[in-house]
Amino acid sequence: MIESTLASPEATAPVATSAAGEPAVRTEGVWKIFQQEAEEVQAVRDVSLTIAPGEFTALAGPSGSGKTTLLNLIGGLTRPTRGRIWVAGEELSEMSNEALAQLRLEQVGFIFQAYNLLPVLSAMENAEFPMLLQGVPAEDRAARVKELFERTGITGLEDRRPGKLSGGQQQRVAVVRAVASKPALVLADEPTANLDSHSSEALLDMMAELNRELGVTFVFATHDDHVMERARRLVRMVDGAVDSDETRS
Amino acid sequence: MTQQRPSMHIGVITTLALRNLRRNVRRTILTATALIIGGAMLMFALILGDGTHEQWIDSGVRTGSGHVTIERPEFRLSRRIEDRLPAKARPAVMAALESPEIAERITSVFSRITVSGLASSAAGARPAQILGVDPVAEAALSPLDEQCVEGRYLATDDRLAAYVGAGLVDSLDLRLGSRLVLTAQDAKKDVAGQLVRVVGIFQSGIPELDNSVIHIPIETAGEWLGAGDDVTSVGLMVEVSTAVPAVVRELRQALAEPIASGEAVVMGWREAMPALRDAVLVDEWGAYLIFGVLFVIIGFSIVNTVLMSVLHRNREFGVLQALGLTPRQTGAVVLVEGLVLTCTSGVAGVGLGVLLTWFFMGDGLDLSQIAGELSEMQFSGVAIDPVIYPQFRMSRLVQSAGWIVLIGAVASFYPAIRAATIDVAESMKFER
Repeated sequence: MIESTLASPEATAPVATSAAGEPAVRTEGVWKIFQQEAEEVQAVRDVSLTIAPGEFTALAGPSGSGKTTLLNLIGGLTRPTRGRIWVAGEELSEMSNEALAQLRLEQVGFIFQAYNLLPVLSAMENAEFPMLLQGVPAEDRAARVKELFERTGITGLEDRRPGKLSGGQQQRVAVVRAVASKPALVLADEPTANLDSHSSEALLDMMAELNRELGVTFVFATHDDHVMERARRLVRMVDGAVDSDETRS
Repeated sequence: MTQQRPSMHIGVITTLALRNLRRNVRRTILTATALIIGGAMLMFALILGDGTHEQWIDSGVRTGSGHVTIERPEFRLSRRIEDRLPAKARPAVMAALESPEIAERITSVFSRITVSGLASSAAGARPAQILGVDPVAEAALSPLDEQCVEGRYLATDDRLAAYVGAGLVDSLDLRLGSRLVLTAQDAKKDVAGQLVRVVGIFQSGIPELDNSVIHIPIETAGEWLGAGDDVTSVGLMVEVSTAVPAVVRELRQALAEPIASGEAVVMGWREAMPALRDAVLVDEWGAYLIFGVLFVIIGFSIVNTVLMSVLHRNREFGVLQALGLTPRQTGAVVLVEGLVLTCTSGVAGVGLGVLLTWFFMGDGLDLSQIAGELSEMQFSGVAIDPVIYPQFRMSRLVQSAGWIVLIGAVASFYPAIRAATIDVAESMKFER
């Protein structure tokens, strides 16, 4: 069960922030075209979006609408065919692969539908991994992960390998991994798709709380109505293009 | 952006590499076993080859002119007494041999008067290689005294004695006590004859020796050929053949003056016995060729194993890069996996090779049981001993381990590049 209040100053420390006044994410006329044999597939078409720091945004749409591709583009996992993308004020198009990796390490956390925990590492080691790369001291890493494990209700599972965890537990570890390094932006691709309704609800509660109290910007790709209801901004995509963009109070 | 700390990444990369090796124990053990056996076989084969070559060289130089020979430049081809070492050069040679840098490496020194001539008996005449030798020094050096089939080897007080090869004895219809006349050109370029009596007959099994070689006392040869105390060559034996280049270098420095004036030349066995050198080289390169093929096979098996492992872990490499590991660091994980595997296996393989070497060090590896013909084999006047004694050299140990590690590193390089250059987004879509 997720605690409603933060227990330690460590957990409330500020996340990596965008340059002053810069949006967390900005895309400008972004296209992503794949070549499949002789056919050209326009996965993302002329998407221009601005997501402010601290937003809790859902990219909604049916399968094949371009949600995952747009998330991958924002996370620098793939490069746009046309257009420009800024994350935390830094433009991605001119960056080398090494620089993109560095940007992801410092600014972006990922939550995947298939959890994607590293099977050779324990739950604790998985959660610590980005911090380990960042060079966070061992004591700080341990304290931060302990705190987040408590908050996400998976204390006691630290030494288990992913294969010994349920889907819900794995996804919680993945969420801890995504937020523990205090990124400015967390990109979540169908985070609840493989979870039952109870686990799904708990996960959304947890992410909403992290968003509210730590100021982490969340962008989800989802086609789950329940997730869409929880989002404070809903961007609907159809055939790779933005169909509607609705902000709720 | 802040820079990542490299030291932190080495730890992360190593941890991931080690965990991945432990993850598929069977695959790791199979690959390691191939490397261990390859390393052990490589080392043992190199050491056995060194032992074989050392035996060839030892046998060759004992029946030939020693590990190192000092003679007049023209003598090698002419084999005439007039091309002997000049008397004035001999003190310099002896002084050089007594210098501490050279003396400590030498096990024996012998002087010879060697000429090509004719051996005649009532039955006819045959060409002969006539060697005037010091019986004591020669007996300590040459294996011919132990190959006596009748009579005895030369003694120090012999004067007109001859120790003759069995083939020559047969062709000249000689027997123990028979007299024969040796004819050759003397120091004054006159033809000179010397009557000697057969005191011993040897059979080496090498036709070049049995059909032509005659040993006589060096004093007798000196008087017969008018050479006095002069000799045609001074030969040296050293501990092992690998010490020869250093001894040759030292001697050439010490004898710079007679060498510059064309009165002497210093030759290692490679120059003095080119046929033996070529045989060793051909055998060495033949072995290297086989090792090369073996290495290519081992290399491809490593590439196959590591590459399959990489292809199965595409999604993980994608996740690692999504989490902030750079492409180069991702490749390093694979490279470190390969290096850890090959370094560990290389050390174990070399250890096994040392054990094998140690096992065969005492009694040698007797090949006569599997190739009986070997006991009768010889080439270029060198008999091949069917019992091979491994010769341990630290350099071979380092070479074997080095080659295994190099193969591992090279074989891991391509899979590492594959891991580093994956399409991150595609790789995570993969296996979903």
